[in-house]
Amino acid sequence: MSGHFTRSGIPIKPVYTPEDIEDQDYKKQLGDPGVYPYTRGIRPVGSWGWIQRELSGEGDARTSNKQLKYLLSQGQTGIDVIADAPSNALLDPDHPLAVHAVGTQGVSLCCLKDFEDLWEGLPLDSVTLSNSTPAVFTAAALYLVAKKNNVPPEKLRGSVIQGPFYGEPCGYATHMPVKLRVRLASDCIAFCTQTLPKFHSFVEDTYFPCEAGLTAVEEMALGFVEIRYIVKDLLRRGMDIDSFAPRIAILVDCGMDFFEEIAKIRATRRLFSRMMKEEFKAGDPRSLAPVITSHTSGLSLTPQQPPNNIVRGTLQALSLVLGGVQAVEISAFDEAFRTPTPESHRVGLRTQQIIGLETNVTRVADPLAGSYYVESLTNEMEKRIWEMVMDIESKGDPVHLSENGWFKTFFDNAMNRYGREVEEGRLPKVGLNCFRIPGEEDTLLKDVSEAKIQPFKEHIEVIAEYKRNRDREGVRQALLNCHAGARTPDENLTWPIMDALSAGATCGEIAGVLRMAYDYPYDPHGLVEPMI
Amino acid sequence: MKRIKILIGTMGMDQHEVGALSVSRMLMDAGMEVVYVGRFNTPKKMVVAGIEEGVDVIGISCHSWEYLHFMPELLDLVKQYNANIPIVVGGSVITPKDETQLIEMGVAAVFGSGSTKAEMVEALRALAG
Repeated sequence: MSGHFTRSGIPIKPVYTPEDIEDQDYKKQLGDPGVYPYTRGIRPVGSWGWIQRELSGEGDARTSNKQLKYLLSQGQTGIDVIADAPSNALLDPDHPLAVHAVGTQGVSLCCLKDFEDLWEGLPLDSVTLSNSTPAVFTAAALYLVAKKNNVPPEKLRGSVIQGPFYGEPCGYATHMPVKLRVRLASDCIAFCTQTLPKFHSFVEDTYFPCEAGLTAVEEMALGFVEIRYIVKDLLRRGMDIDSFAPRIAILVDCGMDFFEEIAKIRATRRLFSRMMKEEFKAGDPRSLAPVITSHTSGLSLTPQQPPNNIVRGTLQALSLVLGGVQAVEISAFDEAFRTPTPESHRVGLRTQQIIGLETNVTRVADPLAGSYYVESLTNEMEKRIWEMVMDIESKGDPVHLSENGWFKTFFDNAMNRYGREVEEGRLPKVGLNCFRIPGEEDTLLKDVSEAKIQPFKEHIEVIAEYKRNRDREGVRQALLNCHAGARTPDENLTWPIMDALSAGATCGEIAGVLRMAYDYPYDPHGLVEPMI
Repeated sequence: MKRIKILIGTMGMDQHEVGALSVSRMLMDAGMEVVYVGRFNTPKKMVVAGIEEGVDVIGISCHSWEYLHFMPELLDLVKQYNANIPIVVGGSVITPKDETQLIEMGVAAVFGSGSTKAEMVEALRALAG
């Protein structure tokens, strides 16, 4: 190919003119901010701002609780917690394979006590609480913890990420069949619409899959395929579209293609609102206006010359702000080689504060609207994303595509393509494949790479002790109820899961019996025996 | 020239595969045979698979710190099984201090972020004899 292209392969011309958007109809395609089709943002003029937060969580829940309180004291305006790798894979910390990963890349969460410790002393009725943690378990625990603290659950704001049902091969493995993954997502959303009406129970995570090296078009196409499938699943249950559509949010990635990322966000809003109105017949304006939250790309960072990552984070955050998102997390400058340090978290937060307070870029809503290039690119992104959604859906039921490995091949190809582009220098990465410096000169901000978070092994014994001191029969009965519930097609599993957490069961145990009910092994690694 | 056979996988809960897959592809492009064992391996699984497959080298890919904790067990198992298979490690989380520690432990080669295809291919050819 000759010429220049965006990361998604859209040709870039040296200049754009009125001819590039001559068919543009302002009211139909743009509309004012806060007005259908929400291309220019979901909030009315004068009310826009974004939640500033950094992805946090490490060690056990008590340690993370301190970290969250520190970040709030530094001006963070929301909380965003990620669970460690075992918790997100639904394995307890005392699982033999988890031992070296407890609390190193997020917080270890496996029982109600952990959730109570995590949120202890936080203003649950006023702060927004975003969770990159196992969704249905988190929603159930949040409901219980709010009740216990006399906070009305209907006041809770925040979100849980639903790991995409096709996510087993792209870092989201829970070793559950796709049908169970879909069911748990739908159950969680249905539960939250009844009990946590202000809570965004359906965060479509396009960020994490995108980090496999997807293009922006691929990222959003996969996201829409999932959103559409879950929406149809909830409609099949007899739910009203307006009962849950306002609770949908999209967590997008933001890479280095500055204008393409802005165009992606604007195109996504337009596509979403049109789809909701025209295809799913939503009537509530809130159903048509998608909340978009964001992480800057961890994949774009380099371990070489870490200060460059601060620049990358700044540029990415600026494009997110110009795109008009509702929340931003900047992947910390040390994330290329470690779980973020408090110092790098603070740099990420300060970057957002500088953009918000010092640059005046936030004074005008959707300031790039009308740009020949940005509008033209928004139109092209919209077209290409939708074509890919239709193409994927034409290949068959997305659940079948997951089961037969189609998504796995898609991700493998993306990872391969990305690796080759970097290796061959077609995707320039300053400090990595161009403008390298010798290792001995690459010292600035490198010292943080040597300080590691040790696995929180003492927590393994805490959980083992917790398990020894429970009412064993009560736990067993609660797990049997989860198993029976999973065998009953129309039962919402959130309730028996909540009862099991109350009875002292752990997320790993509950997930295990749910797997069994779907004829999967209790322990995917064959190392732990079931209690039932 | 003999066709070099290498086993590649990640250990523990490390779910990041971008590096493992792209390195596998590079080595296959260089004419090597790659046995890709994916995620969620224990040291024992890696060593047993390496022996059963008769590989020349076992390659561990990492994007979490778990590998550092698994490595002594892995190297010990290689000895226990009299396997005589060199272990190499690659990943962006490896720091200069980690690299020194790994080599002292008995790891045959370490490839941090920025290692080129040529460097890896040359090192693996030398190790495979």
